[in-house]
Amino acid sequence: MTGRVSRVTVWVAAIAAIAAVTAAGWGIGLNASTVGFLYLIAVLMISLWGGLAVGTVSSVVATLCYNFFFFRPLYTLRIDEPANWFALAAFLISSVTVSRLVVAARVQRDAAVALSAERERLLEESAHMQALRESEALKTSLLRAISHDLTTPITAITIRMEALRRRAVGDDELREVAGAIADETERLRRRIDNLLSMARLEAGRAKPRPEPTPPADLFRAARENLPQVFAARTVTVHVDADCPDASVDPSLVLEILVNLVENAHRVSPPASPIELVARRHPIESDKVRIEVLDRGPGLPPGVADADVAQRGLGLEIARSLAAANGGSIGLAPRAGGGTVARIELPAAPLPVEERA
Amino acid sequence: MTVSNLILVVDDDTAIRDSLSKELRAAGYATATASEGREGVAAFGTGAPDLVLTDLAMPRSDGFELIAAIRAGSRTPIIVLSVRGADADKVRALDLGADDFVTKPFSVAELLARVRAQLRRTGATASATLNFDALTIDVERRRVVQGGREVRLTPTEFALLELLATNAGKPMFIDQIIARIWRDTPSTTADTVRVHMSSLRKKIEPDPSDPRYIVTEPWVGYRFIAEPI
Repeated sequence: MTGRVSRVTVWVAAIAAIAAVTAAGWGIGLNASTVGFLYLIAVLMISLWGGLAVGTVSSVVATLCYNFFFFRPLYTLRIDEPANWFALAAFLISSVTVSRLVVAARVQRDAAVALSAERERLLEESAHMQALRESEALKTSLLRAISHDLTTPITAITIRMEALRRRAVGDDELREVAGAIADETERLRRRIDNLLSMARLEAGRAKPRPEPTPPADLFRAARENLPQVFAARTVTVHVDADCPDASVDPSLVLEILVNLVENAHRVSPPASPIELVARRHPIESDKVRIEVLDRGPGLPPGVADADVAQRGLGLEIARSLAAANGGSIGLAPRAGGGTVARIELPAAPLPVEERA
Repeated sequence: MTVSNLILVVDDDTAIRDSLSKELRAAGYATATASEGREGVAAFGTGAPDLVLTDLAMPRSDGFELIAAIRAGSRTPIIVLSVRGADADKVRALDLGADDFVTKPFSVAELLARVRAQLRRTGATASATLNFDALTIDVERRRVVQGGREVRLTPTEFALLELLATNAGKPMFIDQIIARIWRDTPSTTADTVRVHMSSLRKKIEPDPSDPRYIVTEPWVGYRFIAEPI
């Protein structure tokens, strides 16, 4: 639309420019050579603006007007003086040449502009790629730095707590305070672990590295990670004799287990035990099922498996980690009261081979 | 009066270096410190410590450099202070010759247990029987007694148990285990080791749901966890 309008405008403007020069030269009575220069300027402007076709046609029209209005005999296209033939011919040649030169210059300029735009785009693109790469590297080093910067003071606190505990021998109140600080520090550590795991998963840095993992070893590692829970209440463990190993990233699944046990501990009455059970999946034999059973208040009515998120950050993280390991977690009401948190994971069956 | 073991602590964080040294001294060890790898190498040369505790990520010269430098001419036990989520670093450190690791933040009790295990392992002379809580391994007569009952093991299972128990507290790579036990068939796979180890664990563990002797060591292999008596 705009293109066509501008084409028409160009032709109208070309006619108007030549008419204006003719009218000015004729009305004011300028001499022929001045008018010639004015025509030349008009053609130059038209070519510059309108391109080669308009420029060339304008050159011819201007030559005809020049002849008709300014060369004797006036108001005819006849030319009597041979010198005027030369003048007109020279005008036509200059005019067409000017319009060609101007157009060529413009095409070149446009090409240069396009080229530099392209170059700029390429530069931008490579800068973008570079920025992406750098942001990936930044994410990794940022996570490393955060991990280091958060872990270091917690490590220092944990070590210093030991000195405090030594001092607290024989001082019940101080011992209790020291114990509480140690527990809270532990909790802080686990939350930081959780957040870092999530950040690693989100950033795509935590590619789970599965390997055959006996559930009994996961239970044992959970005890080492949650000494205060295992000291505060009875936690029983049971692995079925025919339970296969799980094919999972041990550190990520440990984190799931720790979160579920911590959660069970939080909701259970003090004296009630927590049970950890691992067995082969009853239907899908290529899966291992690990359960954390508590005698807490159970699930609120209407809370389905999918609403794990309602039970807090720890469970939300556990769910993401389970998914990253090709497994799933779910919550179900436990017969006799309480909740069963269920982790289902791919199994790593032992190969059958002849005995040595 | 006994001479205390000297422990070299290498960490770039002053708070950790100082608090750790203090706790080690409270536990009866003498300590020396360094803040980075090269300084650690120098301190190792002058102090001749009995054990080295080193961080891995340190500016300028890191823990890997230190481990490599020490292992170039010494078998002094090295325990690495690793951080969570850096399992690849941990495995690399063990591969370079570190003997064990603890993951920050660790408890002092845990660290001291690891230190004891390493000092005991290197100080131990080859003995005819290995004694652990409720487990006795008679190397000469190839007999194993657990909880007062004799346990019948296959020759491969016995070899595995002996190898792990003599290296109590040290994570053993599957490759190392294959190289030592399956000398004649180096093409043995990790799965074969798993089969024998699983069967061994079922025989010696009084409660296989709650192991007290052998556990898997993620991305490495196996570790004998009981402390010798």
